[in-house]
Amino acid sequence: MFNYYIKLAFKSFKRNPILSLLMVTAIALGIGASMTTITVNYLMSANPIPHKSEQLFHIQVDSWDPNNPFNDDDDALPNQLTWTDATNLTHAKKALRQSAMSMSGAIIEPQGSESKPFEASIRLAYTDFFAMFDVPFLYGGPWDNNSDSNREQVVVLSKRTNESVFGGENSIGKDIVIAGRHFQVVGVIDTWEVMPKFYDVNNGPFNETEELFMPFSLKEDLELPNWGNNSCWKSPDGEGYAAFLRSECINTQMWVELPNAQAEADYLDFLNNYVRSQKELGRFPRPLHNRLNDVMEWMERQEVVEEDAKMMMWLSFMFLLVCLLNTIGLLLAKFTGKSSEIGLRLAVGASKADVFKQHIVETACIGLVGGVAGLGLTLVGLQGIKSLYGDFVDDLATLDASMIVVALVIALVSSIAAGLYPTWRACNISPASQLKNQ
Amino acid sequence: MLKMTDVKKVFRTDLVETHALKDFNLQVGEGDFVAVTGPSGSGKTTFLNIAGLLETFDGGTYELDGQDVSNLNDKHRSQLRNEKIGFIFQGFNLIPDLNLFDNVDVPLRYRGFNSAERKKRIENSLEMVGLAQRMKHLPSQLSGGQQQRVAIARALAGEPRFLLADEPTGNLDTKMANSVMELLKTINDAGTTIIMVTHDADLAKQARRNIYVRDGQVSEL
Amino acid sequence: MKQSQPQTSTNWELGPILRAMLRNKVGAILIALQIAITMTIIVNSVYIIVERNKDMQRDSGIDNENSFYLTSVGFGENFNVPNTVEEDLTMLRALPGVIDAIQTNAVPNSNSGWSMGLKTQSGVEHDAVGTAVYMVDDHGVNALDVEIIAGENFAPSDISLRTVGQVDWPNKTIITKAMAENLFPDINYADVVGKTVYINDIDPMVVVGIIDKLQAPWVNWSNVENVMLSPERQSFKGSRYFIRTEPGMRDTLMNQVEELLANSNNQRLIKGMRSIEETRERSYRGHTAMIKILTTVMVILTIVTALGIVGLASFSVNQRKKQIGTRRALGATQGTIIRYFMFENFLISSIGVLLGAVLTVILNVILVNAFGLDRLDWFYIPIGMLVLWLVGQAAVFGPAKKAANIPPALATRTV
Repeated sequence: MFNYYIKLAFKSFKRNPILSLLMVTAIALGIGASMTTITVNYLMSANPIPHKSEQLFHIQVDSWDPNNPFNDDDDALPNQLTWTDATNLTHAKKALRQSAMSMSGAIIEPQGSESKPFEASIRLAYTDFFAMFDVPFLYGGPWDNNSDSNREQVVVLSKRTNESVFGGENSIGKDIVIAGRHFQVVGVIDTWEVMPKFYDVNNGPFNETEELFMPFSLKEDLELPNWGNNSCWKSPDGEGYAAFLRSECINTQMWVELPNAQAEADYLDFLNNYVRSQKELGRFPRPLHNRLNDVMEWMERQEVVEEDAKMMMWLSFMFLLVCLLNTIGLLLAKFTGKSSEIGLRLAVGASKADVFKQHIVETACIGLVGGVAGLGLTLVGLQGIKSLYGDFVDDLATLDASMIVVALVIALVSSIAAGLYPTWRACNISPASQLKNQ
Repeated sequence: MLKMTDVKKVFRTDLVETHALKDFNLQVGEGDFVAVTGPSGSGKTTFLNIAGLLETFDGGTYELDGQDVSNLNDKHRSQLRNEKIGFIFQGFNLIPDLNLFDNVDVPLRYRGFNSAERKKRIENSLEMVGLAQRMKHLPSQLSGGQQQRVAIARALAGEPRFLLADEPTGNLDTKMANSVMELLKTINDAGTTIIMVTHDADLAKQARRNIYVRDGQVSEL
Repeated sequence: MKQSQPQTSTNWELGPILRAMLRNKVGAILIALQIAITMTIIVNSVYIIVERNKDMQRDSGIDNENSFYLTSVGFGENFNVPNTVEEDLTMLRALPGVIDAIQTNAVPNSNSGWSMGLKTQSGVEHDAVGTAVYMVDDHGVNALDVEIIAGENFAPSDISLRTVGQVDWPNKTIITKAMAENLFPDINYADVVGKTVYINDIDPMVVVGIIDKLQAPWVNWSNVENVMLSPERQSFKGSRYFIRTEPGMRDTLMNQVEELLANSNNQRLIKGMRSIEETRERSYRGHTAMIKILTTVMVILTIVTALGIVGLASFSVNQRKKQIGTRRALGATQGTIIRYFMFENFLISSIGVLLGAVLTVILNVILVNAFGLDRLDWFYIPIGMLVLWLVGQAAVFGPAKKAANIPPALATRTV
């Protein structure tokens, strides 16, 4: 019977090609517009590290100005830490893993005359960074704890840096000149793109991961420049780089790994105690207010999803609604046009349920065809997004399997929903009235 | 009143030419009641369409109420239909979405009467066909005979000189057909010229004059 | 018998159309809703587009077409920043086609820079007005193509050298007119010259000049015209040069400068060579993209709605063929039939645009609350209503024309 309904659906499609085409187009446009924006939003709000996003926490402490909160929002805490606090908290080692981190950059001078010096971005971090975030290694591994405390000049390269400096070979143990100093390569990481780049969202949540990784403690020795955001509520006490590092300026991120709720509670206690002890030193003039944010909470709080993307998604849903209203109207027209056929079917003994099924199948077919065409339009839409926003959205504008399923489900559900009323009307045609006037 | 001289009507398709009317000649005087009979395909309906200015023709002349209407444009013909001709159709042709009042109102609107005038005429004509009480009903709530009476009321509301009826009882049972026929005779007695196309010989006999159409030409009986 | 009475004014059949519509509510409601939502989206989109466009049209203050910048990063032990900067600037300023060149810490509209707070009274307890800081020498005003409208430019002797981690500030500053008015709302901007303002809560700076207009690096900042110039060169490893050229010389000079600087010193690399035009294009890319996307959405949406109207109207014409033939037989002219369908659509559209007006305001309120947009100007709504009315009328004209061509003889046909 189902096959028969499918056959009827295509017959009906052929009999009214323009009306059917209009409906398919309307659904396809609605699906295309919504799926394009849903995809962008979905990828922007994706969980970058799903298996442990609930065990990783970004630390916030209120070290700000006694007279003004960090921003107008009452609940707002500074979005980064001072170098001092991040270093102290990391050294305390009260979490399973912890790392202060910040972004910098320096010039790499490859040995050998053929390659020119180039500038590379650096992630300054502690060794726990790699284990905490499950960074995959191609060669070697992270530096060890001693390198952190002894401020050894060791470096982990990104796959691409290793390719441009060492031609992609295993470079463990080799020497590389960075910022005018000699470093030893201890590891090369494999391709590692986290989307969003959750560990440092206020410096470009969709930027690529850094080209070099080196011990955080070297920031002070090498006086490495601050590439990320830096905000100050009071100017450093004294001149020079050391004074800047020890100032109340915030420029450092701090992540910890806490395996369970108990560890989380303990860590918050520790954090509060730490701030209390700092208050005794005359720091932290504001009321005690500290917070641990897990990965998704942090993404949410930092509003990683662009407002424009959200706005476009809501507009595209309204667009889909218009397309569906359109479809309802056209279906109504189509089914009313078929009322004599329906009357005949009822007269020769079809039940209302039969007629209902026949027309729901017909609607679903239209929805499915529209959905598939809509997927095509989604690809066009995503291509359009890429060309409009440039390279940085490349990873935000790709369609994965789950999105394809979502698109087809939305197409099917919405077209069937659109078909319900017209179908109901079609079922309630009285057989007699339709036969008489033929 | 109505005078057709050598009226011709040809229907052309790519393959064939059909001469629906060939040198059709007919004169109908004021106050007459003419029944037109003939086999199907004889040109009865074409004659009615041309007489009612629903269709143009290809040759000859047609005078209606002393006016040559052979070469009028569409707009003029619309106006003449509206003012001088009332139509009664086999299928009643009531507008299903409009109630009786609004149905009878249709031609009066085109005439441009003001609303008081229209109301008076609608009520009078519905009164005449005995349906004044059902003004707010929809056509679907009436029987076939009642629907045809509404159609007659609609035809009469504009007080036309002519009434053209196309198989007015074709969709009705005998009892209802007779009552509609009686109504038409009453209207004719009041002075309105009627031309009625029918295939029913008994019905035709009740008219004052009978003409028979065959192969697009008149042969009077 | 009454002969044709004086024709009253054109008869619109308002009552019968409305009553007939009430019997076919669903079709009319569907079209009205489509029109309402389409209007809601279109009016709000147009509003967003206009607002974004306004942002992009704002005067940056600098010579957008003829300016570019680059960064020179020194490495190697012997790299001497102040000397290199002095040599570079001397060379750049002497280049034919260069109007002026400066070293600066930040570039307008580039989305990255420094901000500070200025106060009119010394002390932590007073409120500060946020401002972008451009550190420039006495050529700054000329290179940035700004005009001193009160006071005077920095003198060469005012220029100091800022080191990494330096905390204190020079004792002179030039600020924009907008900044002057934000700091001292009660006095004429020209009288701000000579006033002392405080940076870092307590460090005094005397305002020596007021410039007409200059934008901050951050294009989406609400105080984008709050800018101060500080008379300094910087001895940072990375030096940014900002160069203004004669009209039409920019692209040639960009190539020439890159080569000259790279060859003059092998202890550095040149990076980030970019024209202001390109920088602005990047900074406003989100705006440009939004404008294009919304425009596309509006066009497609209008087409969808119009096609929906065409589809339903054609269908209703087909359904009413017999009725139309009958009306023609009863004396309706072709014009009357067209008018009937146009007026019917007008009535449905009217319901749609009235509902649309309400929905438009609601969506705007939501956008204002959720996304911080500005309130919609009232005149967008009547314009939107008019446009949707016209779209409806244009869409229904085809089917109406088709209806008018239905022959009156159809009335006598038994289908």
